[in-house]
Amino acid sequence: MRYLSRTGKRLTALCLLLSVVTSAFAHHSSAMFDKSTVRQVTATVLEFQWTNPHIWIQIEFENEVGDKQEWSIEGLGPNSLFRKGWRPNSFEPGDIIEIKFYPMRDGSPAGGFIGAKFADGKTIGNW
Amino acid sequence: MIVGYRTFKRHCIAVSVLVSLLVSLGAGATDSESLPDWSGVWARFEGNAGMFDVSTTEPPDGRAGSPGVRQYPPLTKEWEIKYQRNLEIVANGRLPDPVSICGTPAGFPRLLALPDVYEFIVRPEQTWIITENGPNIARIYTDGRDHPPQEELWPTFTGDSVGHWEGPVLVFSTISMIGEKHTILDRSGMVLSDKARIHTRMFITDEGLLRAELVIEDEEALTQPWHVTRHFRRLPPGTRVYDYACAENNRNPITSSGQTLTLGPDGKPIDIDIE
Repeated sequence: MRYLSRTGKRLTALCLLLSVVTSAFAHHSSAMFDKSTVRQVTATVLEFQWTNPHIWIQIEFENEVGDKQEWSIEGLGPNSLFRKGWRPNSFEPGDIIEIKFYPMRDGSPAGGFIGAKFADGKTIGNW
Repeated sequence: MIVGYRTFKRHCIAVSVLVSLLVSLGAGATDSESLPDWSGVWARFEGNAGMFDVSTTEPPDGRAGSPGVRQYPPLTKEWEIKYQRNLEIVANGRLPDPVSICGTPAGFPRLLALPDVYEFIVRPEQTWIITENGPNIARIYTDGRDHPPQEELWPTFTGDSVGHWEGPVLVFSTISMIGEKHTILDRSGMVLSDKARIHTRMFITDEGLLRAELVIEDEEALTQPWHVTRHFRRLPPGTRVYDYACAENNRNPITSSGQTLTLGPDGKPIDIDIE
């Protein structure tokens, strides 16, 4: 017995693509992020927390008035990211990166990770 | 050694009783060779960020937790109002997800719609559904036992599952789930009562997907059985499963108002607006 028609298989492929491209925040609602806005900055990595339930990239960059400020960028969990090719040393303190993230709705210094580009041109996430 | 007739008779009776007992204990069980191969590591197939019933989700590509995204179970008027109330809370970003506290299981049937990966351990007497996320374990007894009597049941997150094999199809029923008190089905705010009973059939399709067909009955929340189908896809051989230590570095605690906070590396909230 066939359970999936040709159309079903196309939908299957679409589902797979969507599930890969738009992974959910596994552990909590992502309502705090403004997903209609993408912020991109050049930053220095201060710390990479390869931890459950989410990884965190602590970065520092200059704000509009030239003051350095630390931001916390949250990603998915290490397990799913490892299977997407991330590693515990994907970010190292001192790395200069361009990073894209969804900012917090209330303007606090944090965001949801989208993608990053390293000085050597390599990228990670959705860049 | 000469054994008397009376002794021999007693021995035969004892053996008969033992054989009958073993046969009755094994009733409904299946031998290992005839069980299907569900080995390996699997992941949920449906996207939508864990929306439980993707077939009725509106909009079709809507993600659980996004404002305005819902599904359409056959809810009673009262439970439709309850769902709409939760949808409003979701729209305001204040629906607390019970799993965010890193202390309780996702429960059944939500554990069939989680991110990360799955293992399905099939034994003649029992099948285990193990989810990396959580983690969660659902034990489905297939050794011929029935659900416990009422006086031995209390609502739990995962409930009590018993079933049997019909060829390559695992058929089981789940009762005694804790319902809306401590679980949600997804972040759209969908909940069921603790009266829910779920009948599930699981099997591998011709396409190699592991398919779970659920018929959900709930005399309090639903006007008729709610049919939901979910699928899992097998990941490449060699895929590993890892610890999901949710409390390791949970920087997103929930306030009493249902707000999900974000903690800085120093453990203090960095949110500007805290209710």
